[in-house]
Amino acid sequence: MVSLGLTLVMLVFVVRLLQVQAVDASAYTAKAEKNRFTSVTLAAERGEITDRAGVALATSVDAHDITADPKMFTPEDSNVADAPEQAAALLAPILDKEAETLARQLSAPKSRFTVLAHRQTPQVWNQISDLKTVLAEKAEKARSAKGAKAPASVLAGVFQEPSSKRVYPNGDLAAGILGYVNAAGHGGGGVESMLDGKLSGQDGEITYAHSGGRRVPTADSEETPAVPGTDIELTIDRDIQWAAQRAIADQVQKSQADRGYVIVQNTRTGEVLAMANAPGFDPNDLSQTDGARMGNAALQDAFEPGSTSKVMSMAAVLEEKAAIPGTHVTVPNRLHRGDRLFKDDIDHPTWYLTLNGVLAKSSNIGTILATGQLGRTQPEANRVLHSYLRKFGIGSPSGLGYPGETQGILADPKDWSTSQQYTIPFGQGLSVNAMQAASVYSTIANGGVRIEPTLVRGTQGPDGLFTPAAAPKKTRVVSEKTAKTLATMLESVVFDEAGTGTKARIPGYRVAGKTGTANRVDPVTGRYKGYTASFAGFAPADDPQITVYCAIQNPTEGSYFGGQICGPIYKEVMEFALKSLQVPPTGRKSDPLPVEFTPGE
Amino acid sequence: MRGPAGQLRGRAARLARLMPTTGASTAARTPFVLLVVLLLGGGLITLLLLNSSLNAGSFKLSELKKQTTDLTDEQQALQRDVDNLSAPDALQHRARQLGMVPGGSPAFLNPDGKVSGVPSEADALPYAGPSALEAFPPVAPSLPASLAPSVSPSASPTDAAVSPSSSEGLTSADPSTTPSAPPVPSALSSSADALSTAPLPGPTSGTPTTPTTSGR
Repeated sequence: MVSLGLTLVMLVFVVRLLQVQAVDASAYTAKAEKNRFTSVTLAAERGEITDRAGVALATSVDAHDITADPKMFTPEDSNVADAPEQAAALLAPILDKEAETLARQLSAPKSRFTVLAHRQTPQVWNQISDLKTVLAEKAEKARSAKGAKAPASVLAGVFQEPSSKRVYPNGDLAAGILGYVNAAGHGGGGVESMLDGKLSGQDGEITYAHSGGRRVPTADSEETPAVPGTDIELTIDRDIQWAAQRAIADQVQKSQADRGYVIVQNTRTGEVLAMANAPGFDPNDLSQTDGARMGNAALQDAFEPGSTSKVMSMAAVLEEKAAIPGTHVTVPNRLHRGDRLFKDDIDHPTWYLTLNGVLAKSSNIGTILATGQLGRTQPEANRVLHSYLRKFGIGSPSGLGYPGETQGILADPKDWSTSQQYTIPFGQGLSVNAMQAASVYSTIANGGVRIEPTLVRGTQGPDGLFTPAAAPKKTRVVSEKTAKTLATMLESVVFDEAGTGTKARIPGYRVAGKTGTANRVDPVTGRYKGYTASFAGFAPADDPQITVYCAIQNPTEGSYFGGQICGPIYKEVMEFALKSLQVPPTGRKSDPLPVEFTPGE
Repeated sequence: MRGPAGQLRGRAARLARLMPTTGASTAARTPFVLLVVLLLGGGLITLLLLNSSLNAGSFKLSELKKQTTDLTDEQQALQRDVDNLSAPDALQHRARQLGMVPGGSPAFLNPDGKVSGVPSEADALPYAGPSALEAFPPVAPSLPASLAPSVSPSASPTDAAVSPSSSEGLTSADPSTTPSAPPVPSALSSSADALSTAPLPGPTSGTPTTPTTSGR
């Protein structure tokens, strides 16, 4: 009987052993490993964004989230009646926060976790940690003297979690281009979002056996190293960007304008050297910023360019050989076309202008008359003009691939309304963004070949290898001869006393430019209200290197004429860029074209 | 000496008799046992040493990791300071405090002494209050040197925008007087471009030439 019982017991044991060792073995192994092994994510370092000289515009640094366990501040746990208040008083100056706010967070009932401050520097955590050590020593002494009822350290419940912080060392410099990073550490706008995939890299993971929180060195471990993000080098020149940003911010404030943009472009490579917006924002502190400022208005605003777009009409007229710069144009004070009576920006007696003079004095009527020669019928002329506008890049994306970029509005010529077909030649009834407008002038400066603008110069992978960005697309828009003629005509705008752009003169240099003062469509009401002042041009006119475009939306204080408020900005930024890039004047004398003619000659 | 089996009785003796009892094997046993003991003991000690050295290494690893973190933190903090000092805004501010003002239109001093562009006196007003230039008027040429360590090289184009303004004796580079100045090594003139306060070594220290010139 006994042996039978023993056999049965043994049998039960054997069966159980088999079950544990053979049948469910894998499940138990997995459970054991779960307890023994721990996995830690190795955060990939986000790539830097630098300017063209390699100066960091956006970089990532280590940071700490300061957290706390409110339960450890209760009187039961800490043996201190007002632990949250005491801790808050200690932490408030270090974290630069209100003591009341912190105390409220620390005394949250039934909570075990609260974040006191996000993304603090290691120095801040070091201060807190030193303070913690001192208080803990004191509490230890009290405990050995008085026993378990002694008050505990009031900072015992304060902890940190490693995190990383995106830093923009130059504050609001180029903030519109760079964008910002959201709470999850991903790009929330601008280049940060455009190239987020490259910048963020690949998180790694390490799995190792641990005992009491410490890694067991003899046990095997598995590690997938993190791949750091790629560094992005922009075409931006930090110093020119700064000069542009300061100039436009000053003027926007002075004119009480809604906003303004300045774009500086290298005419030979299409590289954008500066793209400034005003008002801007500081990506280091988004809490102080309202959402309307946070985009890159230079690419995201579509506006009617006004007279700066007359240069495209002139390009079409010259390229189609409908006229030459010396062609006589008699400009009356009013011109009846379609359903409207057109006028120039000022009332004038009948002007006797050359085609060159039409551009220099920015005559709307003269431009309508000149573009009328593009075809035998008005629809034909419209089609020809439209084809040139398209070739100059109007109505299509600029090629930057920037998030939220507008491509502007350019209707098909068959959809042009009766008045639109006469307003489009002088830049009303179509809309562009500032980059497209700047690109038009770069095209003329570059001998008639349009180079797609670029914002990214190249990338530098974790292996340290620099990969230049793909070469931009080039398309010929007008012949070199037409481009040269246009450059000379644009010089008249600035250098002729009758021109509208005299404020943009730079002593010693030959400067080409064009003013623009457009009626602005109010984005809220959709009706014409206020003005868009602009100035576009390049220098040196006979050997162009740099294009500068400036536009100010809705200036309400002082002058609203492009030549008056944007001309000086053009001059300031252009002078700075010429100095920065060390572009000397060519020293050749200009050969001015006549602006007016004497009737009857 | 008889075999050990001889001293045993009963079952033990019978068992002992089964074992080989040659003299030779008795003689060889002691070194063998010693060897085994030595091997076991040695292995144990080696394992112990290995384990403790691994553990020591692990401690050292975490110590070095902490050191790396500390140094990284310090490097990042220092980089932050450098960035704050070399940001264009900060540079402009300090340059203005030194009494510099933004230059006018660019002018270039060529190696042959010719000036291209139209040089002009900077017309912007310096900051009010005591300027650094007033504090050290005679050492103007050494200003770039004293500034150099705190200014990152990439930041130099910013400084190209500022040109000197001192209360007395500053004349603009006049093309007609330039040839009389001593020959300018291009290295000097390009550094003068970087910080255009540096007056060229002229015949009299009271008439420095060259605001915004560069060595082209």
